[in-house]
Order: sequence, then structure tokens, then C-alpha cells
Amino acid sequence: MIQYAAILLFVLGLYGLLTNRNVIKIIVSLNVLEIGLNIFIISIGYVSGGIAPILTSVNNTSALLFVDPLPQALVLTAIVIGVGTTALGLAFAKSIYAKYGTFDLDEVEELK
Amino acid sequence: MSAVLLIAIPLLVAFVSILSKKLAPWLLLATPIANLVLLFLVPTGIVVIGGFQPPFGISLLLDTYSFIALFAVNALVFVIGLLNVKEYHQFSSILLVALAGLNGLILTNDLFNLFVFLEIAGIAAYLIAASNKKPASVFHYLVLGAVGSSFYLFGLIILYAMFGTLNMVDMIEKINAATVSASALILPFFLMFVGLGVEAKLLPFNSWVKGVLGSSNTMSGPMFASVYAVTVSFVFGRLLNNLFAFQGNLLVVVVAILLLGIALGEAMAFSSKKAREILLYSSIAQASVVILLFVNGLVLWGALLAVANAVSKFVLFYVVTKAQKEVGCDDLDSLQGMFQGNYVVGVAFSVAALSVIGIPLFAGFVLKLGYLTELAANANWLAIAVILVASLVEGIYYVRMLVKLWYPGEKEVKVSFGNVATVVIALAAALLLVFGVYRGPIDNLDNTIDSVSEVIDLG
Repeated sequence: MIQYAAILLFVLGLYGLLTNRNVIKIIVSLNVLEIGLNIFIISIGYVSGGIAPILTSVNNTSALLFVDPLPQALVLTAIVIGVGTTALGLAFAKSIYAKYGTFDLDEVEELK
Repeated sequence: MSAVLLIAIPLLVAFVSILSKKLAPWLLLATPIANLVLLFLVPTGIVVIGGFQPPFGISLLLDTYSFIALFAVNALVFVIGLLNVKEYHQFSSILLVALAGLNGLILTNDLFNLFVFLEIAGIAAYLIAASNKKPASVFHYLVLGAVGSSFYLFGLIILYAMFGTLNMVDMIEKINAATVSASALILPFFLMFVGLGVEAKLLPFNSWVKGVLGSSNTMSGPMFASVYAVTVSFVFGRLLNNLFAFQGNLLVVVVAILLLGIALGEAMAFSSKKAREILLYSSIAQASVVILLFVNGLVLWGALLAVANAVSKFVLFYVVTKAQKEVGCDDLDSLQGMFQGNYVVGVAFSVAALSVIGIPLFAGFVLKLGYLTELAANANWLAIAVILVASLVEGIYYVRMLVKLWYPGEKEVKVSFGNVATVVIALAAALLLVFGVYRGPIDNLDNTIDSVSEVIDLG
């Protein structure tokens, strides 16, 4: 079920990217898309009734039912990369505003 | 010594270079040289990292195929760094990060690791593109690049859900064992194809190219048109020949995308009047040709064509961007007669252009003859027809461009290239000439590349 929600977020982000012309809104859409994707990745590793994949004094045997830790590690990396891209996107948004005085890409096209 | 150093050294040096701005350009020049030396010293094969035996952990794969790509990328980054060391010295750290990312892309044997390197190389690419001082175009590139890599990630995570592995060799074995129907693989393969297609400049996903390469400079032009192009082609080749099993409708769609890319790329180059636009549209068409060869299983020819294109496009883009910088415009009319007084550069530029067209005596001809013969052996007449018509169109616009640039117009155009650039460009053109008449190394490679792909198949 959560996978449908994730795909919906992904598609929503894609829709936002295709319809918006404002730089900041495009960055927000990109983030919505990435969050959808990250939830999808996490959902791949979900095991019904599984516990956190950490061996502790209570859960001290690998025979227990754990969720898959790999997608979690992947998501962590994907989040960091997404933050980097967003930061860079915002930096470019700033320089677009400094150069053209607007965040609207249509207006930027006209000013070129 | 291990092949990991080819990635670790540039990454470490990139961080060190931030500490000293004076030292950074020298570090940029020293690192690719060190990598080139290292390339001959490290053993080939699968490199295990952290003691985790594959399929666990991340492993790298250094074979003849990745060796060729690594050699080309490191040598080209050195040359581009050398030619831009004065003007773009503040980009030294970024070029080093790009080098680490690109080396990683070529070497990695892990699909998620490939995504990480795609992003590292991508973020460096956005910053390199920022040197064009066109923030709106770079932003467009960033958005497309981020969406592209998200699609790639989406595809790979579906594959992970199906097969439970991210190791490429392991994944290939599991796909060949065919526990999943071919139709279930269409979605992940297509998503990954689209994702990589953005960076590879394939047609519907390449709207960023005009903004970035159309206003490129002596650093960003050669970096994108040669270094990034050759790397992404090799990555595509690796995946297409070992992982993606394109069949049925998916194969038809992919081939249609590529053929359309060749035809439209050449048509757009033909109708352009600006030097950089002509070259960038020609690059789009060439990228599609390379991927088409990989799709048809012609690994050797695809790889060699990617390298030959990288050398040619380096010469073409450097000369044109340098001329644009000095003249202030890249209309062919305003560059008319720029080779008067620059005969060495002019000859080198002509050699590179004629090699791209595929005129006898140049490397492009040997390759074109080679892959067309192979395509004919496979009875792939549609691809042959499209490539031949594209070559004809290419011939027309490149010769038109050469005539313009050689014959003086009303106004005298003066461009000074400097001694270092002239020597480097002449050497690159000489390479295209040498490999145009001397086939020995290519015939030798034929055997080694085959044997390596067998190794991959066997794990």
C-alpha cells in the first residue's frame, strides 16, 4: 500500500516539474519526487513483523526476522545526494535571481 | 596497489586542493598523470573492497574495456587541465572531483555505487557548466540530471527487489538464470536507460545540451563533449552488453530512439549557423551511433568509436571555443578565415572533422568501415542506411564549415592559440591519423575485449 503512496508522490513531483516555471517551485517538486522515490526504496526492504536489523543483548541471534537493512543504507545515501543537489539548485536559483531579477524561467527566456 | 586508488587519489587530492589555491592547478595536472602511471601498475580483475567477497560489499572491475576508458579519461582531463590552467584555475578542485566520479563510473561493479558516482560526476558537471555564466541553462541541466538519476535509481531498486543483489556480475548471472519473465524486466531496464540517456545526450532527454554546450568555453566544451561523453558511452556499453537484455518491443523503442537521435541530430547540425551548435548537434548524433553499436552487441567498435569521437571532439570544441572567446561570437561568418596564419591548428581541426565524417586515412574511416561491415553481417540494413545518410549530411556541413574557416572573408579574423595548445591539438590530430592507417592495436584489442566479456559472463 505504501508503495502506491510513494509512486503517487513520485508522479506528483514529476507533474510539478513539468508544469511549474518558477525555479523555487521546480526545486520543491524535485524534492517531492525524491522523497517519493526514497519511500519506495524503504518499502522494498520492509518485512511484515520484522524488527530493526541490529543485534542487541535482547535480539542476539540472526535467526530473528529482520527488515532488509540495505535499502535503508541506500536511502541514507540518496538523501544526502538529494540534499547536495538541492543546495546546488538553490545556489543556481540565487544566481538566476541576481542576474535576471526573477525566479520565473519564462521571464528569464524573454530577458535573454 | 589496487584500482581503488584511481578513485581515491583524485578525491583526496580534490579536498587537499581546496586548502591551497596556489597549489590546486598543479595538483590537477599531477593527479591524472599519477593515475595514468598507476593504471599500468595495478592488477586487472575484480577488486574486492573491505574484505567483503562479492556479491557482498562493493567491488570494482578493471578489465581491458575499463582500461581503455580510464586511459582516455585521465589523459583528456590532464590535457584539458593543462590548456585551462591559467584561466580556470579556480575550477581545479571541481575537475578533480569530476575525475574521481568519472573513474568511479567506469570502474564500479555495483549498480548503486554507479548511481553515487553518477551524482558525483553530475554535481561536478553542473559546476563546470556554471563556468559558462548562464545560470538558467545550468539549472535546466541540474533538474534534468537529477530527474534522470532518480529514474536510474528507480529502475535499479526494482531490479534489487527482483533479484536481491546490486552486484553487476551477480545480477547478470541471476538474470541469465531467468527466474523472472522478460516482460517484468522492461520497466526497470527502460527506467535505467532513460536515466542514463540524460547524461548520454540521447534525443528526447537532452534538452540541456544546447544551453550548456551552446555557450561552452575552452574548459566546459571539451569536458562535456569529450570526457563526459566517452565515460557515459562506456558505462552504457557495459550495462547494455552485460545487463540490459533488450528484447521485443523494448528493443524496437530503444532502436527507434537512437535512430531518431542520429537523424535529428545531424539535421539540426546541418541547419545551424553557429560553430558550437553544429558541433553539439553532431555530438548528439555521434552519441546515438555509439549507443546503437552497443545495442547491436558491437562492443569493440562502440568503445573505439567513443574514444575516437572524444579525441576529435576535444580538438573541435577547443578550437571553436577558443576562437569564440577571442572573436566574441561563434557564427561561422564571423569566424571566416580564422585558420589563415594558424595553419597547424587548421590542419589539426580539419583532420578531426574529416575523421568524424569517416574519410579514408583517418581513424573515423577505419571504425566506420569496421562497424558497418559488422552491421551488414547482422543484416541490420535500417541502421546502416541511417548511418550512411547521416554521414553524408555530416560530410556536407563539416566541409562547409571547413571551407568557411579556411578561406578569408572581408574581415581579417585573428585568433592566437598559443604554443602549448597548438602542440597538444596537433598531437591529438596525429593520433587520429596514425590510427587511420595502422590497424595493429585495434586487431589485438579485438581478442582481449572478447575474452574479458567472457570473464564477466562467467563471473
